[in-house]
Amino acid sequence: MSRSTWTTKLTVVISLIILLAIWQVGSYLLDARVILPTVGDTLASLLNLLKFKPLSVNILATVNRSLQSFLIIFTIGTVLGLAAGYSKTFHAFLKPILVVCKATPVMAVILLAFIWFTSNTVPLFSAFLMGFPIMFVQVEQGVQQISSQLDEMSQLYSFSKPTRLKFLIIPSLMPSIITGAKASLSMVWKVVIAAEVLTVPRYGVGSRMQLAQVSLETAEVLAWTLIAIILTALGDLLFSLIIVLPKKFNQRFKI
Amino acid sequence: MIISNLSKSYTAENSTIEVLNNFNLTVPTKTITALVGPSGCGKTTLLRLVGELEKPDSGTIKKSSEEQGRISYLFQEPRLLPWFSVLTNVELVLRPFYAKNERINKAMSFIEMVELADYARLKPDQLSGGMRQRVAIARAFAYPAQMMLLDEPFQSLDSSLRWLLVRSFVKLWEQEKRTTLYVTHDVQEALLMADQVVKLSHRPMDILALHKIEEEKSNRSLSDPQLIALQTLFYG
Repeated sequence: MSRSTWTTKLTVVISLIILLAIWQVGSYLLDARVILPTVGDTLASLLNLLKFKPLSVNILATVNRSLQSFLIIFTIGTVLGLAAGYSKTFHAFLKPILVVCKATPVMAVILLAFIWFTSNTVPLFSAFLMGFPIMFVQVEQGVQQISSQLDEMSQLYSFSKPTRLKFLIIPSLMPSIITGAKASLSMVWKVVIAAEVLTVPRYGVGSRMQLAQVSLETAEVLAWTLIAIILTALGDLLFSLIIVLPKKFNQRFKI
Repeated sequence: MIISNLSKSYTAENSTIEVLNNFNLTVPTKTITALVGPSGCGKTTLLRLVGELEKPDSGTIKKSSEEQGRISYLFQEPRLLPWFSVLTNVELVLRPFYAKNERINKAMSFIEMVELADYARLKPDQLSGGMRQRVAIARAFAYPAQMMLLDEPFQSLDSSLRWLLVRSFVKLWEQEKRTTLYVTHDVQEALLMADQVVKLSHRPMDILALHKIEEEKSNRSLSDPQLIALQTLFYG
């Protein structure tokens, strides 16, 4: 490992320690555990949560909702982004819908969705409305950035439609698809948990946060928040692995 | 190929640019015709019209039966797919015509001809500019086309590399002759490669001089008195 990598890691650890120290000092100064519990109280609450079975059920429910939303966003965002990238009419048709999606506050979407759907569907619907524009815009812009020179070359050398898609369009769009997917996945976690907080489905990280907050269990709210942060980080890590592993595999076996 | 009364103009910001006005040229079948002229005179436009990338305002381009059909293009830039290997880049243009093994063998044979066999598994960004252009040459020749259109393909390369690629091109072309239109602003390059060299005027493009060169391409040298005389004529 290079020296600069070590320095970066050390800086991250120092930054984390400073953050925890500020939290700890703040909690001593406030001396009100209902407002800000100590780091120790929060960790104890986290350990307590880990001991009980509902933890995995709640986490699985949130993960399930987030992944379902993400897959829907990924598929629809990519297909419609491609269509809008190639058709000005379709772009114009979707423009008002996108403006509304982007401008509407998350909470307004969740509250309205709660009027229309059940508490299990609200997180999916809200996450879709918030994450879809990100994926869509990335793919649409990606289409516009496909090299016109390569496009012309593919026409001159009579590439068939499947060949063009596989060898020119998909590889050209890959950076946009990855950026869009990564950004929409981060958004999905937050919106799903926010929707769970407001609609309180039977299981879910957000539901547990809401129940803990109602009973003034601030340490437990923070413990669930930590779990949410870990979930988001794991999601990002898994995403990075999905992208990096095939490349490493190809290099190793020279495919 | 007979180009008759070809006209083409473009409209930009309320003004009309007349690039071709009743342009005429005869290109003998299975020869290389070099078009030499100043930048912006309309050489590339003529190539795009022949390649059917654009339509003329008026006039006709009549191709012989041996020239009709597919066209290979060699651009100023190599235009290779950066995500795929040299082999895939060449093999891709053969997909509609051959089964997998046959097209890989065929692609490899053209890659060998441009002396890049050891680099077949590398991606374009792992190659130098000259090597990338050689891959583009291999691809252009591998494509079973009836005609070839070259748009200053060696322009951005240094002179020693340029001569190497000119030789590679001529060697490949001699093996399977196709009617070739070759746009360049380099007179020496044109004299080494072409069967007929056409000197063109500024816009609207017109023929200032047309010279046929009978000497075998592989025997030509720029110190040859005939070529020296032609150089003087074209540079003049």
